[in-house]
Amino acid sequence: MRDTVVVEVIDLMKRYPGAAVQALDGVSVAFGAGSFTAVMGPSGSGKSTLLQCAAGLDRADSGRVLLAGQEIGRLREPKLTQARRARVGFVFQSYNLLDSLSVWHNVLLPQRLAGVRPDRRWAREVLNRVGLAGRENDHPGRLSGGQRQRVALARALAARPEVVFADEPTGALDLASGREVLTLLREAVDDLGTTIVMVTHDPAAAAWADRVVFLADGRIVTEMHAPSAEKVAEQLTAVTR
Amino acid sequence: MIRLALGTLRRHRGAYAGTFLAALLAVALLAGGGLLLFSVLTAKPPADRFAAAAVVVSGARDVSVETVTTKKKKEGKTKLKRKVKTERLTGAGTLPAELAGRLRGLPGVERVVADAAFPVQAATRGGTPVRGADDAPVIGHGWSSAALTPYTLRDGRAPGDGEVVIDADLAGRGRLAVGDPLVLTTRTGSRTVEISGVAAPAGGDGLPAQGAVFLADGEVAAVSGLAGPTAMGVLAAPGTDVPALAAAVREHAAGAPVLTDGDRVGADLPGALPDYIAPISIFGFVLGITAFAAVFVLTGTVTLSVRQRLRELALLRTIGATPRRLRTLLGVESVLLAALAALPAAPLGVFFAQVVAARFQALGVVPAQFTVAVSVPVLLAAGLAGILVTFIAARIAGRRAARIAPTQALTETTTAPGGSRIVRTVVALVTTAGAVAVLSFVPLGGPLGMGMSFVSSALLLCAVAAAGPLLVRALTAVLSRPFGLAGLISRAESRRVAAVAVPLVLMFAVNATMLLNGSLLDRLAGQEQRERTAPATALVGAPGGMPLDAARQIAAQPGVTGAAALLPTRVIAVKGGKPEDYPAQGLLSTGTTPALDLGLSGGALGGASTFAASSYVIGQYGWRIGETVPLWLADGTRVELRLSATYTRARGFGELVLPAELVAAHDPKGLVASVALSGDVAGDSATAPPVVAAGDKSEQQGAWELMVAISLGFTAIAVVNTFAIATAARRREFADLRLVGATTGQVHRLAGREAAITVAVGLLLGAAVCGIVVGTFSVAQDGVLRLIVDPGTYAAMAGTVALLGLAAGILPARLMLRRGGLPAQV
Repeated sequence: MRDTVVVEVIDLMKRYPGAAVQALDGVSVAFGAGSFTAVMGPSGSGKSTLLQCAAGLDRADSGRVLLAGQEIGRLREPKLTQARRARVGFVFQSYNLLDSLSVWHNVLLPQRLAGVRPDRRWAREVLNRVGLAGRENDHPGRLSGGQRQRVALARALAARPEVVFADEPTGALDLASGREVLTLLREAVDDLGTTIVMVTHDPAAAAWADRVVFLADGRIVTEMHAPSAEKVAEQLTAVTR
Repeated sequence: MIRLALGTLRRHRGAYAGTFLAALLAVALLAGGGLLLFSVLTAKPPADRFAAAAVVVSGARDVSVETVTTKKKKEGKTKLKRKVKTERLTGAGTLPAELAGRLRGLPGVERVVADAAFPVQAATRGGTPVRGADDAPVIGHGWSSAALTPYTLRDGRAPGDGEVVIDADLAGRGRLAVGDPLVLTTRTGSRTVEISGVAAPAGGDGLPAQGAVFLADGEVAAVSGLAGPTAMGVLAAPGTDVPALAAAVREHAAGAPVLTDGDRVGADLPGALPDYIAPISIFGFVLGITAFAAVFVLTGTVTLSVRQRLRELALLRTIGATPRRLRTLLGVESVLLAALAALPAAPLGVFFAQVVAARFQALGVVPAQFTVAVSVPVLLAAGLAGILVTFIAARIAGRRAARIAPTQALTETTTAPGGSRIVRTVVALVTTAGAVAVLSFVPLGGPLGMGMSFVSSALLLCAVAAAGPLLVRALTAVLSRPFGLAGLISRAESRRVAAVAVPLVLMFAVNATMLLNGSLLDRLAGQEQRERTAPATALVGAPGGMPLDAARQIAAQPGVTGAAALLPTRVIAVKGGKPEDYPAQGLLSTGTTPALDLGLSGGALGGASTFAASSYVIGQYGWRIGETVPLWLADGTRVELRLSATYTRARGFGELVLPAELVAAHDPKGLVASVALSGDVAGDSATAPPVVAAGDKSEQQGAWELMVAISLGFTAIAVVNTFAIATAARRREFADLRLVGATTGQVHRLAGREAAITVAVGLLLGAAVCGIVVGTFSVAQDGVLRLIVDPGTYAAMAGTVALLGLAAGILPARLMLRRGGLPAQV
């Protein structure tokens, strides 16, 4: 499972302008192909910053970000965006779908923007997998939160990215919907070989991952393999203290 | 509630900026237009030439027509209904000279001064015209009239025969002194006189709007051609009771108006007073256009900004706000916002009024003496109107948010269909019907044509605004096909596209319609002018005009085989009990070959006691050739003339043609403006100014262009503002696009393409409105259907609208993306 590294960050440092403490204080971590990693930590531990820097959404002050072997930390726009959309898929807490586009067009949007011919058959397959076959022409505004998150996941997967970054994907969902989404994420790893990096504060969600990385005060404190919700919760309490 | 409203206002500072700006400009425009109209309606003549006379008897200054209608009532009773309608004269009626004798004997009368006032063209011997301040006309009087103001001699002595006294202002402007010669031209001829003295009224060099030339009293009748005095001033002995004196005078005045105090100035020659009648209609129109555009734009902006906050409003519903509370919130908020905007808008409105007034004065459409009166009630009314419009628009836009269930509102997106498709359709149909009615029943070929074409385009615009989302959905379905992603978004967001396209429609339709109709009239007038003068080999004119005898001499030159001298004047005809004033020409035709071609459509020109009328007037009055018709000349004299001919080429000329001698005798100016000659004419006389139209077409054209400039400026701001509001609400959408992998360049291009779709929709709808109105207008003018009229103007208008729309669509998106940086967290 950890033969090839898809994403690797080395010695990331980041401090937000005006902030007293380092958001990231020398973080180095690698994510292997086909792995499902959860990043955990208390609020302000830097987990979202780590995800954003690793995904090329934000820039670290120093350190390197290797995305499929490509150094993206020093890329400028629009090269950075191009690198990102070619290799990365996103699932966010707030879905971030375009209300004015139908489900189908939302799913195809990243490929359209990349200027590649959309793989329609694959997109259909992905929509089928997330259980939204037949809802292609609906607009996101008419869907429930769980359905919207599944559209977002379909969108992330449709472009066959090397890695999917998920930032609190279940944060806005009820328990049942959250579980559905996590199942789908797990299936994406197991069936499709997708690499997933998921930021969450929910031990139950983290338990779906293969590995959990704990962050506190901008540093990696520890990590856990084959996690369970109880163990994660325990560790999290320890970290928070 | 007020605290909550204040709170939201403060929190959404950026989002409200657009509404604030729209309200600010709308109130400023309303205030400016209102002030202009108010000022011109309440404008007082700048000075009273009769200041020294307690009571003034005036000759006729208007034509009154009384109609008596008998109404049969129940039980066999009949009721007489009297209606008196009047129309102002452009000249002045006279009084019988013997009236002075009758008034002189009244108790309290110290002196009675018969005043003759008549326009004079004064020039130095070298031919340089001498005019008053701001090109004010020079008015001739008898020397005894000097006592009415009074003018007192500063230099020299009272005029004898062949001499004049001029006011000090004229003397200064013309660099004239006692002993200098002065050339005076009136309808009775030109004569050179010597300046015997310089006089001035108390406290100045002259009166503000008129220059004065005083002749010896004995020469007045011969020079002016007047049958009697145009007014009579009664100077009262000290301590006389003026109202009692006025009453006594009234008894002897035989129905002539007897004026005191501020009314006395009405006895002066109409041409000597600043003309505030034309500006009333111009400023009325300015107010009409600005009020329409302001209300239209403000409504649209408020609706757009409220709709963009539907989500937030729904959120308030979920936390327990009742629909009623929500409505109150929107109401209070809009009133606060508009009231806040009204504060800076008031001074801006005053500034706007002053700038516009100055421009119109430069054009010569508004008298130089006009000043903008700052009226607090008008400013308050403008502010209140702005608040009211904002309030109503906010309430209507918010009614949906207030009505629907909160959860529904939260899940529903901007793509939700509008609530009241039926209402929209009904409003669109009613306004369209109104436009169709105006276009088909109002004779657009007449003087109301321009105003009515604006009214119909305004109605059509309301229809477009009402049916906007429906029309836009249909249009974008077709137009957006080649635009890919931008097309998809535009199709889904047809309401937003409609909201942004409507100001573009307004901008194109209103301005292009006015410009095209104006240039169509101009072109037709020019064409008819060329056709009229086609038979002429030369045109002769003189600055200020020449006496009829001078025109006769020109016509008698060797080689001239035909001549047509024209005296511009105005004539009143009565239609349905209402006297109406028309531009007319006095025509003197001599010779055997024609020099003027009016495009006769029936009868023949010429003959004493006959007149000719344009086909428009014939259409209005239904006169037949051979019929005898009563007409009133410039001095109010009623004449009965036989209709001998009808003609078609009336544009820029006049609606009626009368014998030149008749016009010269009854128009106080009575000077020939131009002489068209045919035959072998010597080259040096061929330097000719264009025929002076009895109307004032070129001034009107200038006024139109100024109005277009005003409305173009405002509608342009409206376009930019609406685009900015619409774009500001898309921060999140753009950020989402960036998140899923759109480069900033791609978002720019997307915004650009969407702007292109919006512009295309706006231009198409605008062209439709403009085409309907201009086409109908054009058919009404001469039966030819023209949609574009002037390709240059059309392309320039379309290009301006397109460029502005594209820039307004692209720039806010660019600014927002630059400021936003990387869309890390949304």
